[in-house]
Amino acid sequence: MSDGPITPSPLEPHAFSYAPMPDAGLPVRERLGQYPRVPDLTFDALRTIARWTAVGLTKLQFPIEIRGEEPAGDRVALVANHQSHLDSLVILASLSERRRREIACLAAKDYFFERTSVALASSLFAMAVAFDRARYTELRRWTRILREQRRGTLLVYPSGSRRRSEAHDAILFVLASSGWSIVPVAIAGTAEAWPVGQALWRPFRRVRVTFGSPMTATPRKDLGKALAAFWSANA
Amino acid sequence: MGIEALPQPLAAYTALAALSVVVFGLFLRVTRLTAGWLPYRTWLLMLPVVFVALWLGTSAWALLITVLSIYGFKEFARATGLYRERLFVLTVYLAMVAANALAYFGRFGLFTVVPMWGVALLTLVPIVRNKTEGMLQDFALSVLGVVYFGWFLAHLTYLATWDGGLGLVLYVVLATQLNDVVAFLFGKLFGRRHWTALSPNKTVEGSLGALVFGIVFAFVNWQLAFPQLPWWGVLGLGVIVGAGGQIGDLTLANFKRNVGIKDFGDLLPGHGGILDRLNSLTLVAPVAFHFTRFFFGGFP
Repeated sequence: MSDGPITPSPLEPHAFSYAPMPDAGLPVRERLGQYPRVPDLTFDALRTIARWTAVGLTKLQFPIEIRGEEPAGDRVALVANHQSHLDSLVILASLSERRRREIACLAAKDYFFERTSVALASSLFAMAVAFDRARYTELRRWTRILREQRRGTLLVYPSGSRRRSEAHDAILFVLASSGWSIVPVAIAGTAEAWPVGQALWRPFRRVRVTFGSPMTATPRKDLGKALAAFWSANA
Repeated sequence: MGIEALPQPLAAYTALAALSVVVFGLFLRVTRLTAGWLPYRTWLLMLPVVFVALWLGTSAWALLITVLSIYGFKEFARATGLYRERLFVLTVYLAMVAANALAYFGRFGLFTVVPMWGVALLTLVPIVRNKTEGMLQDFALSVLGVVYFGWFLAHLTYLATWDGGLGLVLYVVLATQLNDVVAFLFGKLFGRRHWTALSPNKTVEGSLGALVFGIVFAFVNWQLAFPQLPWWGVLGLGVIVGAGGQIGDLTLANFKRNVGIKDFGDLLPGHGGILDRLNSLTLVAPVAFHFTRFFFGGFP
């Protein structure tokens, strides 16, 4: 309810006009992977249930040691090393519920959003959004998206793969030039808890998540090196 | 007593559906109607969903109808933009759940007043939102949701709770779906004269073929699905399916043209969205229900 005087609406007729949802006509897997997410009662409810389930099960099975301060700010990019499918779940479990609600994890479209079943699992449980590695204008598209966003939390694995440890500079450059605060995150222990190539995880392994300070003072060209140093120092 | 009491028509219809799948597959192969393969493959998924729900019993069937109503209305709300108004949408969902629950428990008096209570609840939404702009449109679309997509479809749940109603459910569901297929095939094979701006691909030949098929199919199913009905009751049901199915189809086609979309969704490849598949059934289910109830008091 408004505290001040209520302004009556102008006495002008309004014609019926239909404005379909912006993602109407897109297949389900495309809708799941879009960022920013278009509000959807069904997906939002399912995502909340899946997130609670995933975080609860992760916390139950893996003792997580959290170091450093949880990042603050309106537009935060958590930039982490990537060594296991558990990484996103462990980071989700390390954040506050408010951050978890808004976080989106950048994931390869060709891997996570080709089949509806995989898209559902990664979008609902790990908050994944699609990054199209095959499209050469993708970085430009993301630059525009990130500049337009007023608030959000993005989880990025700049190595692009669990089998690679060096960061790709391009995505870091996009994040920095869009004005997002880059927060380094080092994950340790997940490689042993769920190694690459294994079908099943090994519960009750200790994992550690270290949040660094925002890399505001680091020159853009040195972001990759600074991240590598942070990751190896907290491995 | 629930539909579990009468498994015979279900077994026969399950066999009939399986046979239809084989025959239609062979038909597509022989005629090389390539446009038919995609919807055919989707049917291979949809039929088991329908039959498994029916075999599981009234509760599973009521759940399926509730989910389909909600998802169908969601497609409609997304297409019209009503989906932005969450409170309207949630109120319609609530009315849909209530309608199906009351149908499941056989509370006919309460079931018939669901639209009234649903609309009464909707009147509160603009007041709670304290907003006027666009509210008439959103209110009108929500009323449509409560009545047309919610209450109308919930009659399918109610039909299943009648003693002997299972045959009617099976006939109504399968006949409306087959009716669409027959209209499509007749139109493709013999269609010359187009007759409506609501759906420009419809032909006189296709529509008449579907009407005749609806009536013939009703008589073919008479002894199996609704042996209690006299001949004129069977004829009435045939006309309801044959003509009502096409009117339901045209109604949804009209909605789509108003909104400016081709399909309500893409969940069912070759068919479109859930609403594109339920378009005929939405109208046929309540009309068949009240026709049978008015003239024959249901199946007491």
